[in-house]
Amino acid sequence: MSARFPLFVLALTRRRRMLVFLAAGMVLFEALMVVVTRAVPPAQLFGGASGGPASALKAFSGSTGDVSLASYPGLLGAGLVHPFWIAMQLTAIGSLAAAAVAADVEGGTIELLMVRPVTRARLLAERTVALLAATLLLNAAATLTTAVGIGLSPQLRQAVPLRGVFAAGVLGWCFSVSLAGPALAVSAAARRRSQVIGATIAFGAVGFALNFVALAWSPAAPLRFLSPFHYYTPGDALAHGTLAWFPVAVLLAVGVAGFSAALPLLARRDLAP
Amino acid sequence: MNHTAAAIELDALTKSYGPKIGIDRLDVTVERGEVFGFLGPNGAGKTTTIRCLVGLLRPTSGRVSVLGMDPVADHRRLGPRLGYLPGELRLYPELTGRQTLGLLGDLQGAPNPRRDELCERLGLLPADLARPVREYSRGMKQKLGLVQAFQHEPDVLVLDEPSEGLDPLVQESFFGLLAETAADGRTVLLSSHVLPEVQRTCGRVAIVRGGRLVTVQAVAELRETRARRVRLVLADALGPRPLGRAEAWSPAWNGTELRLLVPPQEVADGLRELLATLPVVDLSVEEAGLDEAFLDLYRSPEQNVETFS
Repeated sequence: MSARFPLFVLALTRRRRMLVFLAAGMVLFEALMVVVTRAVPPAQLFGGASGGPASALKAFSGSTGDVSLASYPGLLGAGLVHPFWIAMQLTAIGSLAAAAVAADVEGGTIELLMVRPVTRARLLAERTVALLAATLLLNAAATLTTAVGIGLSPQLRQAVPLRGVFAAGVLGWCFSVSLAGPALAVSAAARRRSQVIGATIAFGAVGFALNFVALAWSPAAPLRFLSPFHYYTPGDALAHGTLAWFPVAVLLAVGVAGFSAALPLLARRDLAP
Repeated sequence: MNHTAAAIELDALTKSYGPKIGIDRLDVTVERGEVFGFLGPNGAGKTTTIRCLVGLLRPTSGRVSVLGMDPVADHRRLGPRLGYLPGELRLYPELTGRQTLGLLGDLQGAPNPRRDELCERLGLLPADLARPVREYSRGMKQKLGLVQAFQHEPDVLVLDEPSEGLDPLVQESFFGLLAETAADGRTVLLSSHVLPEVQRTCGRVAIVRGGRLVTVQAVAELRETRARRVRLVLADALGPRPLGRAEAWSPAWNGTELRLLVPPQEVADGLRELLATLPVVDLSVEEAGLDEAFLDLYRSPEQNVETFS
């Protein structure tokens, strides 16, 4: 164990196998997306639909603007908002957030940790950094795989600027932060890891459904602002090669609000199994 | 920090969980250098009290002070001077014994000068320490728990059921450690169900029942003030018969034998009366064991709350 940050190291080493599997899964999945995009041009893929794909399908391309799923950026963006990508993110976030506090409370190990001169703020800080590091690993795996795939394909290189891939990667990490913050706040107040994992899945699933419904059904359109998926637009980033700062700010603000709520919640509670 | 304060002070300590009261207005003082027992039946509030003492639970009302500090507010300053063994020791199963001690030592942030010596005394071999904790028996986990509690030489040790799962040889080593700790002027609060262990190690005990303090007494005093076991052998085998005021002394008949638990101040008069009315051919009077004294206090619901600290 590291003498300086033992709680951070403990959180990551205990889940190192899961993180390695998730990162490997992410690499394989994004590699597959690049191969599929190269093999069948997106316009042909959706050629059967008159007038192109429905607007609600933008939810699957990661765009709120003009990026169609029937385009290279749209199809590659789909690999960054695909339910598989979301499931892997939620698994890492749910597991690491649960490990921050709730799992130690449930398992009873919190007793031995917190009778030592470890403040609750330190426990939370080291576990938050571990959570952010895990999300960084997964997003880096997805981004670098996509970047390498585009770099190796002249037709993709022409259609998608490389800086757009990194912009999408940054946006992906901000999206993860927007889920990690509230998940950590739940962990700070919860007694069981299942409560944290359930809440994390609920954030993700409800957020995705809200965005999809808002895009498909115009009366529900204002609801899209409540979903993190409205602000997470990798398709737009891939198409334009730029990072939109407002969505970044919103996603980070949600995450920071969650992290900030976690400390008072943890400070107020009893820490016994 | 108050350097003249007692090691541990509980002042009207109350902890409730919603409508359920865990402990109710507990007043206990433990002096520095004392080995103090904390006893009571299951669900009496011992663990809740201990968790308030080490800062894991916040009192609903009342005050807790350890070495003059509030365990929650002064957690960072108190932590280095506190050693704790939980009643249900939970460890990370995939860590080895050595990694576990290293992790807890790192979090302690202080040197652990006695770690190797303690492992040796408690019979934790280097080969054991290299194995993951999930392979440990209950006794081995308990040894590891004791090492982590003692390894940084804390001023106050709070031990919840410390000898649970230890074999008799290791128990001897543990008693030796307790004696050395007390001789060094450090304080031990020990919760236990093993009454001979309490009798052997503790100077004073507090007994709690239903979240309330029943008594705080010196072990020797407790034994002295409890009932005497009187055994009478009668010349006839007529069995139970009216005994007058001795009816209140839990008479137990077995053929020609009558057993009674007599309050110490009534032994002489009571025996005179019995000898005058019964055909007694033999008698013996024994001091009731500490077990009986404790069990008596555990049981009797009308026992008045007394504090002698």
